[in-house]
Amino acid sequence: MMNRETVSRIVAARGTGRENLMMVLRDLETLSGNNQLSPETLEHVAEEMNLPASAISGFVGFYTMFSTRPRARYVLRVCKSGPCHVMGSGTIFGALEKYLGIRPGQATADGLFFLEKCECLGVCSVAPAMMVNYDLHGNLTEAKIKDLIAAYRAKTPTAAEQSGPEVEGRACVIRSEGQTKRLLETVGRVDPSSIDSFLQHKGYAAVRKALAEYTPEQVLQIVKDSGLRGRGGAGFPAGLKWSFIPKGDMPKYVICNADEGEPGTFKDRILMEENPHLVLEGMLLCGYAIGAATGYIYVRGEFRRAIDRLQGAIAQARAKGLLGQGIAGSAFHFDIFVKEGGGAYVCGEESSLINSMEGLRGYPRFRPPFPAGSGFRNSPTTVNNVETFASTPLIVLNGADWYKSVGTAKCPGTKLFCLSGRLNRTGLAELPMGTTLREVIETHGGGMKDGGKFKFAQVGGSAGGILAADLLDLPLDIDQTLQAGVTLGSGAVLVCGEETCPVDFLLNILSFFDHESCGQCTPCRVGSAQLHHLARKLAGRKAAPGDIDRMVEKALLMKKASLCAMGQSPILPVTTMVRNFRQEFERHGHPDHNCPACDRTLQRLYRAE
Amino acid sequence: MPKDAIGPIVQGQGISLTIDGQAVMGNKGQTILEAALAHDIDIPYLCYNPRISKTGACRICLVRVNETMFKTACTEPIAPDMRVVTEDPELTEIRKGILEMLLAEGDHNCLYCDANGACELQNLVMRYDAAMPSGDFPRRHRTIDEASSKGLKRNEDRCVLCGRCVKACAEVQLNNVWQFTGRGGNTHLTSDLDAKIGDSTCVNCGTCAQLCPTGAITLQPVLGRGANWDLKKESSICIYCGVGCKIDFFKNKGGQLVRALGHPDGPNQGHLCVKGRFGFDFIQKPARLSKPLIRENGAFKEATWDEALDFVAARLKEIKAQHGPDAVAALTSAKCTNEDNYLMQKFMRAMVGTNNVDHCARL
Repeated sequence: MMNRETVSRIVAARGTGRENLMMVLRDLETLSGNNQLSPETLEHVAEEMNLPASAISGFVGFYTMFSTRPRARYVLRVCKSGPCHVMGSGTIFGALEKYLGIRPGQATADGLFFLEKCECLGVCSVAPAMMVNYDLHGNLTEAKIKDLIAAYRAKTPTAAEQSGPEVEGRACVIRSEGQTKRLLETVGRVDPSSIDSFLQHKGYAAVRKALAEYTPEQVLQIVKDSGLRGRGGAGFPAGLKWSFIPKGDMPKYVICNADEGEPGTFKDRILMEENPHLVLEGMLLCGYAIGAATGYIYVRGEFRRAIDRLQGAIAQARAKGLLGQGIAGSAFHFDIFVKEGGGAYVCGEESSLINSMEGLRGYPRFRPPFPAGSGFRNSPTTVNNVETFASTPLIVLNGADWYKSVGTAKCPGTKLFCLSGRLNRTGLAELPMGTTLREVIETHGGGMKDGGKFKFAQVGGSAGGILAADLLDLPLDIDQTLQAGVTLGSGAVLVCGEETCPVDFLLNILSFFDHESCGQCTPCRVGSAQLHHLARKLAGRKAAPGDIDRMVEKALLMKKASLCAMGQSPILPVTTMVRNFRQEFERHGHPDHNCPACDRTLQRLYRAE
Repeated sequence: MPKDAIGPIVQGQGISLTIDGQAVMGNKGQTILEAALAHDIDIPYLCYNPRISKTGACRICLVRVNETMFKTACTEPIAPDMRVVTEDPELTEIRKGILEMLLAEGDHNCLYCDANGACELQNLVMRYDAAMPSGDFPRRHRTIDEASSKGLKRNEDRCVLCGRCVKACAEVQLNNVWQFTGRGGNTHLTSDLDAKIGDSTCVNCGTCAQLCPTGAITLQPVLGRGANWDLKKESSICIYCGVGCKIDFFKNKGGQLVRALGHPDGPNQGHLCVKGRFGFDFIQKPARLSKPLIRENGAFKEATWDEALDFVAARLKEIKAQHGPDAVAALTSAKCTNEDNYLMQKFMRAMVGTNNVDHCARL
């Protein structure tokens, strides 16, 4: 039981402002010993932070990493998202049931382990994966599960991350010939825990150059000229986005969106883990260009190692005078702080992210007003992706023309591709924009695993479209994918072989959207649940005639009427999947159709419900 | 929405646009919905209410802007030369689709719903000819709390998650009892930390119930005492304090007052406190005093006003003459107007000659 004094101490340490609610609750949950935020604890928090009790309840209920019910000393979160599903997360649930006798939602009698299914953990190249409290483990097999369970039985929980070596950033970068390494050039050579190491690799040279040689307007112009487009998924021109920030003396904010939650995407985690200063430097340049003095990095709470390394990098940069007052001897002031997420995909949507930073439920905001006019604390705010920020120091240092020397005309530069699924080599590869799916798979992914046959790839994460063999030679850039009716999105490439059942795969995607819909607007809240329900019926060979078309209709309504981009997302996987594999979908409409893949999923993930 | 809430067009700041082909003038900062309502152009909505901040969540008010875009009329600011279409076959289909989603999500059977006949969802379902969709979608079961509060009945199976109650409590009453918790399809209301509404910090102002577009939160006194279409409205002024809130009282067929709603035009702008909302049952109780009573030999006897006033005047004079003016005191009531209270203290000071004056609101 958490006493009032403990809560008071934590609140005093983190701060009483509502923006600190996430961290206060995280600390208290860790201290609870059974990963629980009990109602008594929450009452104390409400009183100590002078917040309405309902606000605490609403906040805790929104973020899936929190629980008001007792769990156990260790929470095992097994990823069930696309890449892990394709790579056999089902067997992990089976192994855990075998060794611990628990199914999702259950705890072992000794109070040591509690099992949860969760969505993407961002370590997709080592799928299947799970998280034990905050430690990530990948490449799971039944044998490895057995060892891990034994190891955790002997341990005491610690706040420090103790993830497996296989999930460390540098271990997840593909070593293949023919990559165009810019962002990844120094990965493995720069020591992420040492600013001196970064400085030896032209670290902060772009900031020094900008402060010495360029006005803020010139920096903005260079970024505009480079043609850099947002790397979070929407592809909006970064320089144009920055130019929307009003001029003048007022609080402005630079926010780095590191809530990397799109299943199959792990590029931002690797950049933050291996080259945290590059991200900080990009934010500094943005702050200089738009006249902001404060930056925040909103990192999803699951990325413990990235958070630790960013915190370390920020402390070192402050000590070196590269963050804080008068940066590098100039009149420019800028500081950066880390904010953490609590388990909500929708918080990758920029206005949800801002609400989450303010200690609110991660509901997206309607627009206008846009964040550029009224964002964090109702002040002008620009929100950009980690990869976007990491690109800007290179652009400022080497010039716009250098940046445009690779890639396609309208989408210059390189793109980080996150390879996962049934490939011989999975991990991160940096390739010019416009690289074809075939090259990604064959050259960098080392071809299909075990000589299997390519069936389809989902590019761009769960919100991405399905590319079958006919699109293997499609140049993957932002515009050409859109023209072909798919998307580049975050750059996730999840490759599936012949053994993958498209209905099972779509069920997995739609269960993801159902789980992650914020619930604010009607079309997405109800539509996501209805799509999931229809897919589940189809997977169970219980669909009614017309259910396949009904799914398309629902997704279309969501596309037209939803408040934010999330509700507009399912249309792409639904229509592209149905278009490519209509026959297999229709076969599932027959009650006597045999589908072991769907059977396994329904048995493992839906039985307890 | 009252038209005067929009205000006159500010000289030089008017914005001209067309809504359904009709030229319309609006003010800078107005939304499409506000401009439309000011011109009696009907755009359907659920989550919007003029008394709370904008939400944009139900998506019913989606309109077509400049031919190609869909925007929620309740959040989209008007712009010069904007072309708005409020209804076309595609918009109708979208609205119908959203309504059918809402119908599938909850338990919206009007037959046994308290809001039947006074339900904004029902009106829209009728208007768009929406029906329960096929597809065997499972219904969400949420909290039903019929009895914990004497003021409010909560049946979240009727809830459309518009959020009006949450904002009513937070922005109008400033009490923050309601909030959404859970996520996605599991989103539901919480009062405080999942308390029953009767055990929560709710002060029974009833604003959430007044703003609820469906039968999710209803006022207890009216339940079982008349169908909505049998209730007759009479506007009056609240008797409890000097604010003078305007109330719409509703009388059932038997002549009983059963419901009080805040009237938007009064100084209360639609708001009521617990007294104005629920404190009207005494008027139809047999024990209510309707004639003066004088105690004689330990028992009350009915009297006329002349008899009663003469008696009081005589006794006051006697007491003053015998014991001095400070032997008399007056305690007045917040149920009297400011003018009544002024007269009472004037009477005590000037006529009786004492400062012994007090008032229940001081406590």
